[in-house]
Amino acid sequence: MTGDHWAVIAILAVAAFSIRVLGLVAGGRISASRYAWVLDQLPGLIVVSLVASSLVGEPTQTWVAAVAALCAAILTNHVVATMIVGVTAFAGLTYLAL
Amino acid sequence: MKYGAIAILPLAFGAAIYGFAFGLLAAQVGFPWWGVGLMSATVHAGSSQIVAVEQFASTQTVVGAALAGAALNLRYIGIVASLSDVLAGLSLKTKLLAIHITGDENWALTMAERAKSRDIGAAFLIGSGLVMITVWTTSTTAGAIIGTALPDLERFGLGFAFTAAFIAMARGLWRGRPQIVPWLVAAVVTMIFMSFGTPRAYAIVAGTLCGLGVSSIQRRISGETS
Repeated sequence: MTGDHWAVIAILAVAAFSIRVLGLVAGGRISASRYAWVLDQLPGLIVVSLVASSLVGEPTQTWVAAVAALCAAILTNHVVATMIVGVTAFAGLTYLAL
Repeated sequence: MKYGAIAILPLAFGAAIYGFAFGLLAAQVGFPWWGVGLMSATVHAGSSQIVAVEQFASTQTVVGAALAGAALNLRYIGIVASLSDVLAGLSLKTKLLAIHITGDENWALTMAERAKSRDIGAAFLIGSGLVMITVWTTSTTAGAIIGTALPDLERFGLGFAFTAAFIAMARGLWRGRPQIVPWLVAAVVTMIFMSFGTPRAYAIVAGTLCGLGVSSIQRRISGETS
């Protein structure tokens, strides 16, 4: 494990715990503030941007597999089920394309 | 405490499967099994970990990857705030332990059980939380050990598993129609920035900020008309 791996774990651990502590000391005030909507919206927007960035420049089979995963996500709302459907679709499409 | 530890077991089983899958992916992109275990024990946040690991593997940016992951966990400000009654009267040390081992599953179960009986409180939260963090750490480590032993699974589409996991997370974060426009703007802006050669990490920040901007405008308009 490189120094960078350690750093990712350390920064993420400190940041995640700080967020929890922030909730403990000021959660009530933050939730009632006029900027509370930012906390609600931010995770969804980051995840959507992540999906978009994963699909840019990818071949058609990746996009089709993404649609399959999206259908699975809508139907099941389950992370592991969506991953299984997505990866199976991706592997199947890649195999057919070869 | 024992009641909480037993009551959480069905949910812990679900988390174990997710944890195993995450551990497998993390090992495949270069995290050693003990690093995965250490991360799970110290971070204890599934979606944050999967985002940070994927971002680090694809962009090699340390701070960007960690902060992108942490941002996924912002909901814990509200989650922990909602526990103020449950945690009241505990020592600071116990409170800090309790909030670290609180995850979506044991928080939701504690709140649901507390709505039925006021006897349910900190002991239930801590008992169920201890089971959850143990199961999460063990299952992610086990996944990583298997993932290290397996050959490179990228050619079988394992890399796409991250994208599929993000799609599932987006589904979980979907709250209704007002999100359509901000989400579309975030996706399109990210894609435009990447098409012009912007590094992935920056494109994601640009997309997210534009989405937030649109959401803010939407709120102002709906505020004026209502």
